Amino acid sequence: MIANIRKLFSYRELIVSLTKKELKVKYRGSVLGFLWSLLNPILTMLVYSFVFSIVLRAGIKEFAIFLICALLPFNFLSNSVNYGAGSIIANSNLVNKIYFPREIIPLSIVFANFFNFLFELVALFIVLTVLGYKFYLFLYVLPVAIFIQFFLVVGMTLLVSAINVYFRDLQHLITIIMMVWFFGTPIIYPLEMVPERFQFIIKINPMTIYTAYYRNIFYYVKYPEGAGFPGIPETLIALGITLLVFFVGYFVFKKLEPRFAEEI
Amino acid sequence: MSERVNNYRGSGIKNSGDNIAVDIKSVSKMYRIYHEKIPSLKNTILTRKRTTYEEFLALDNVSFAVNNGQTFGIIGPNGSGKSTLLKLMAKIFLPTCGEVIVNGSLSALLELGAGFHPDLTGRENIYINSAILGMRKREVDKRFDQIVRFSELEKFIDTPVKNYSSGMYMRLGFSIAINVNPDILLVDEVLAVGDQSFQAKCYKAIYDIMKRGKTIIIVSHDLETISDLCSRAAFLKEGKIVDLGNPIRVVSQYRAYVEELEKKRAEDQQREERKKIFKTVIESNIKVVDGEDIEKLSRLDSEQAIKRFGSGDAMVTDIRLLDENENKLDYCKYGDEVKIALDIKFNRKVEGPIFGIRITDIKDNIVYGTNTRTNNLKTEVYDKDESLRVEFAFKVTIIGGNYYVTPAVGYKDSKTYCDWVNNMLTINVLKNEKAEGIANLNSKITIEKIS
Repeated sequence: MIANIRKLFSYRELIVSLTKKELKVKYRGSVLGFLWSLLNPILTMLVYSFVFSIVLRAGIKEFAIFLICALLPFNFLSNSVNYGAGSIIANSNLVNKIYFPREIIPLSIVFANFFNFLFELVALFIVLTVLGYKFYLFLYVLPVAIFIQFFLVVGMTLLVSAINVYFRDLQHLITIIMMVWFFGTPIIYPLEMVPERFQFIIKINPMTIYTAYYRNIFYYVKYPEGAGFPGIPETLIALGITLLVFFVGYFVFKKLEPRFAEEI
Repeated sequence: MSERVNNYRGSGIKNSGDNIAVDIKSVSKMYRIYHEKIPSLKNTILTRKRTTYEEFLALDNVSFAVNNGQTFGIIGPNGSGKSTLLKLMAKIFLPTCGEVIVNGSLSALLELGAGFHPDLTGRENIYINSAILGMRKREVDKRFDQIVRFSELEKFIDTPVKNYSSGMYMRLGFSIAINVNPDILLVDEVLAVGDQSFQAKCYKAIYDIMKRGKTIIIVSHDLETISDLCSRAAFLKEGKIVDLGNPIRVVSQYRAYVEELEKKRAEDQQREERKKIFKTVIESNIKVVDGEDIEKLSRLDSEQAIKRFGSGDAMVTDIRLLDENENKLDYCKYGDEVKIALDIKFNRKVEGPIFGIRITDIKDNIVYGTNTRTNNLKTEVYDKDESLRVEFAFKVTIIGGNYYVTPAVGYKDSKTYCDWVNNMLTINVLKNEKAEGIANLNSKITIEKIS
């Protein structure tokens, strides 16, 4: 694995190049270019805000901010997995004709979505500043949260992109799985609203823990030392699951990789 | 896998103690051919069985080595495993068994412009494609102008490549690829790019790479390319190496094989139609077929049962190729004085028959035909049981290959026949390296300066 990381490092320019390509292709031909990437979360935010604050009257203060803090990191995951699933097949002309470590393809998708995510966060900072949130108080926790979540995203994306080569209908299944995952994560609702007997399942989901960190930093502007959620044990479990997903994804990918060119 | 195999992006040639760039050690490659188009999760789960497949041996225990600085050619018919071999060297496929060892950095031109994105401009695609081929951005910056100049696309470099013609697309692909500068270059049928002048440039570029002492491995159907460029070649057939070594010899082996194959194919094609026509002939029990039918029938040769027709009043009993001294020949060559001798036996009295021969090539083109009537030769009345010897003497002016002789004895009305024997004799004319085609016009070539 270490040899492979060294090899990937020697291919860093290709990763940069393909990531740039992903971003360029996505926003080519639109006047607003990169700004489009903001449109999607903003629209989602508006729709959910309307439903939850005005129609259902859930009574959550500043629902838009409450939502967006968790929505952005989840979108990073779901976009990466959704685009990543078909990425090997979509690049069959490359896989079939030129050798390079195949994980570069899904990785470049993850990186492209990661830059999108960072860009969205910057936009969020601006909005929060205008609204007078003191989000910067615990900003030092953010890189840690992002760093750990990154491994989860990479692991999931590697896993689905490799399996999808063998089972093409996985791509459709992924959309459904991601939807279930979305509603299984406290994004449009707070964790406390979940009945006690279901909380266990929700808390097993590492995205619950990560979105809680983002929300603590931006929305609640608190960083729970000891008492609050997520505490050390929950975080460690999430971390364990994340690492498990990462290594399973990586090894499954590596196991299936040699036959990609023949299968597509 | 050995460390050496992984050394694809090493800067220089890793010294392995010998002079071998690519070493193929008893390599076999098995493909799975699935019975259903795409395996799906749904089917696998619902039917609880693995998708069924057949195995296909694309390469069967192939071994050879390519030395540093050598230009190595691989030829063979479609499906013989040439591209599979290149893909194994390029590490796109892994061998089923055996080992592929590559010393030095390797770049594979299996498809020009693979990975171009249609929405991006030529400039952007140069950077991405170069990175895919393993070039550093710094190197691309340095060579950028050179790449653009070579492709002759200066005006269009900031146009999205979706607006390029296919020629422009390939030109850009080639220009990027030859600038990668690896130790070992794999080339698969990508030399036929663009118009004549650009092709010449491509060949020159390949030559330059050769001169710089790089190792090149070429797969091509263009046999001239192989014998011109390569210092060694391999002829691959059904996953096995048929011949390996001197490219001139290997290419001529392959040519002979293709010729044989073509002949077989032409024969197969004709057999069906031939059967139909002769079936009607046999069913209607016509002993004498008229000239027009003969014309049709004569094009459809070689099946034993239907080779021969006519009334049988006279029969060609033997046909031979002779030299001037009446010695029987198995083959001849350009310039030989030879004779085709026919023995004819009469079973009934025939008045003023016409004796003739027709020479055809393997594709059934009539190379030459003549008879006693067109030569204004009077023939007599021949009685039952009389035998004749008819000789056609000529000088061989055809180019090498197999030719067939069809003898015939016709009635004097020149429409009906006593006997017609398709391709009764095969003449083998030895290859003449000076010319190609059928007729040897034996031109004198002179070169003269006019300024």
